[in-house]
Amino acid sequence: MKRFCLLILLVLPWSVRAAPDLPSLMAERLKCVVAVEYFTETETERRPSSAYGVVIDVRGTIILPAAAVDPRVTPSQLKEFKVYLPGDAASAAAVYLGQDALTGWHFVRVEERLRAQLVPITRFVSEGGAVEPALAEVVWGIGLRNKDEDFMPYLLQGNVALVQNLPQRTAIAQQEVAGPGLPVFNRAGGFVGLAATSFGQTFLQFSRAERGGSPTMLINVEESSAFYVASEILPYLGRVPQSVYGRPLAWLGAYGFEPMDREVAKFLKLEAQSGAVVSEVLEGSPAEKAGMLPRDIVLAIDGQALPRFKPDRVVVSFVEREVERRQPGAGLALTVLRGAERVELNVTLGDEPKLMREAARSYYDRLGFTAREFVYGDAVARRVKAADGTGVIAHFVKSNSPAFIAGLRTDDWIKEIDGVEVKTFAAATEQLAKTESDLLRAEFVLLVSRGGETAVLRVKLR
Amino acid sequence: MSRGFNQLLEAVVRIDVREVVFESGARRYSAGIGSGVILSADGLVLTNAHVVSPRAVELSITLSNLERVGATLVGWDHWTDLAVLRIDVADARRRGLKFATAEFGDSAKLFPGQTVFAVGTPHGLTRTVTRGIISNNNRYFEDSTGVGGYETGAFNTWLQTDAAINPGNSGGPLVTEEGRVVGISSRGYLGANNLGFAIPSAIAQKIVTGLVRDGAITRSTIGLVPAALQDLESFYALALNTGVLINSVAPGSPAARAGLRGGDILLAIDGVKVDGRFPEQLPPIQNLIASRPVGDRLKLTYKRGGQTAEVAVMTERLESRVGEEWALEKWGLSVRKVSRTFARENQLSSDVGVVVIGVQAGFPAEVAGLSRGDVITKINQQPVDSLEVIKAAHAAYEVQPAPTLIEAQRDRRVSLYILKP
Repeated sequence: MKRFCLLILLVLPWSVRAAPDLPSLMAERLKCVVAVEYFTETETERRPSSAYGVVIDVRGTIILPAAAVDPRVTPSQLKEFKVYLPGDAASAAAVYLGQDALTGWHFVRVEERLRAQLVPITRFVSEGGAVEPALAEVVWGIGLRNKDEDFMPYLLQGNVALVQNLPQRTAIAQQEVAGPGLPVFNRAGGFVGLAATSFGQTFLQFSRAERGGSPTMLINVEESSAFYVASEILPYLGRVPQSVYGRPLAWLGAYGFEPMDREVAKFLKLEAQSGAVVSEVLEGSPAEKAGMLPRDIVLAIDGQALPRFKPDRVVVSFVEREVERRQPGAGLALTVLRGAERVELNVTLGDEPKLMREAARSYYDRLGFTAREFVYGDAVARRVKAADGTGVIAHFVKSNSPAFIAGLRTDDWIKEIDGVEVKTFAAATEQLAKTESDLLRAEFVLLVSRGGETAVLRVKLR
Repeated sequence: MSRGFNQLLEAVVRIDVREVVFESGARRYSAGIGSGVILSADGLVLTNAHVVSPRAVELSITLSNLERVGATLVGWDHWTDLAVLRIDVADARRRGLKFATAEFGDSAKLFPGQTVFAVGTPHGLTRTVTRGIISNNNRYFEDSTGVGGYETGAFNTWLQTDAAINPGNSGGPLVTEEGRVVGISSRGYLGANNLGFAIPSAIAQKIVTGLVRDGAITRSTIGLVPAALQDLESFYALALNTGVLINSVAPGSPAARAGLRGGDILLAIDGVKVDGRFPEQLPPIQNLIASRPVGDRLKLTYKRGGQTAEVAVMTERLESRVGEEWALEKWGLSVRKVSRTFARENQLSSDVGVVVIGVQAGFPAEVAGLSRGDVITKINQQPVDSLEVIKAAHAAYEVQPAPTLIEAQRDRRVSLYILKP
């Protein structure tokens, strides 16, 4: 009898604290979630997209998940950002600040007048810091309907089924607990995580990865059952990009990390840890300068053995994140296995060479294609030395345009225009602009390279 | 019909082939039927390379009198889709089997509209004669995987006929009313009516001579991929019927090392002018280079922009992209050697390695995660620079199964795998 009383005494205060009024918790927390709409303007079309975001500070800064923006789109093609409050048809203008390399978040800042109505997510962090949700704990979050329903908010709730390092600490609930990019709370209203984008419908489907392939995923794009726990979110809220391109970006220059699987680890007597095989070392890269060789197996970073992950291939993102979290100029000590020998490499990370999204581009409507500046990544993709990277890339080819009919395709490498070697982007645009505006021109000739083979294409304009 | 035609009918045979295929991760056999024509009293039979290839393990010839006799492969040439067999004449003689021989006609004299007959074994129906005309006597087509995955057609043009050619006609003769062999039926367009193709006898005669003499046709290459100039003459400031457009130069090939590149115009080879205005003119030009000895020096005259220049290029041996195949059955793994051509086409850094062409479910290779298209570059840390290296590792595994470390590349990504007993 005495024991029974004790039990009741123990349970009582907990149940009082753990059952705050959910309707009022939700009403309060709706102030940190928004819907963001923007337009993507490409050569021939203009299409709207929308995503969900969470407010992170009092200056109206909002983060959107990585998948909110198509990675092939360059920031200059993103137009007219608008922020909507849940259930409200009115919108406020916002500016796009760029994407952070480590978290993948896109940062947006809303205009002044809306800021007073917003509350940053940090306001809902439990006293004493963020707590990790326990297995089986009930968590809840907010979903938002589509634009035609004014992004009306609704409640999602579930139990935590699994918490795993992928490599970010990720909780997977039994069912959807929030719209992707929106926060997840515990029963007391404390912030416990941010819903991942387009994650696997269930953890089972996610973790059963095909080797070398992508994990199998059933995707519900409007709700997510997985979330990165708060400790993976809160330390990075300050990573507001300094430039719209997300620079500075640290660069290692090792291409194609592949996980070392269990059987290989056992064979190499490295059961206690994981490793990542380097497929290629890029020309002129910090990795090359530090003496890294293709087929080196990375075993440790800054003296710490790479931890084991389930599934194995998570180690690839782990290594990549270790680079992304650093700044150009920072050191990275790598221990690699080369044949039977362990080699220590001291890399000084460099500045990521100009990316495709930063490359200059120019569209010629009459010719029917966009010429883009040749960047380092193009040389890598085409297995040529960066120094041989003259010419321009056909970044976009309009269907049934003269260039298309002549056989030009997206990603073709244009090496000569009218028999003249293309030395610089400026020279190419000058020549193409002249051709574009010369309405008497009947045709022009391109020498293009595709898959290591060249072809002469004759573009008929009349 | 003419006496010659009747004699020809006696010289046409049915060929039953059993060949080994490696694609499934194991050694398997498949059977096929084709046609052929007997060329000589000592039993030479001409057929298609896609009927009989070095993969054949059992050849059976059905003579026109329905008697069967064995045969062996003398040689094949997938570029022209021709193969030569030899009937087991001793056996034929012992059994008192008789056969007639066919005679070649001159394919150069054929004209569009001329009546021709195709004789063969369409769909296994032996001694079928179909009639048609020469629809075109100089048809150009190339097929990069046309003969059992091997390249064909770069060095010859084809006869086109509307005589019905069906599967099984392959290797049978296309003949004139006098029974002279003017072509070897090779293929038809699937889903089209009466668009059949045959190798002209002028080409076939040369190939037969070469195969009988050497067992193979050796060709040279310098790595040029030509294209027809067709109306680009004014752009390149050329007189009509001058030169051939170099559309592409294989990376690492002799022509590439000599500095030639796509967009150059080849004007002459050893001072002899070339004319590649139309696609039909390209095979003879290709053949001009191919028929030079391996290691020979060619003097090429070419035009780039306004400049004309000369360069010497040393020929190298022409290789198919399809390398030798083998099945490593304990691992459930079938592989094909990476050839120089395959390596260049796929922008591999070298021709070290074997390509996985099949894995068998539940066997070590499949369990380890290898799949079709992976290029195995190392086995137990040893570079796989020949098929023998991986065969030896497999033989050792057969004797004493032990975990075996494989390094393989998929696209450009390098992974390690363990083959476990």
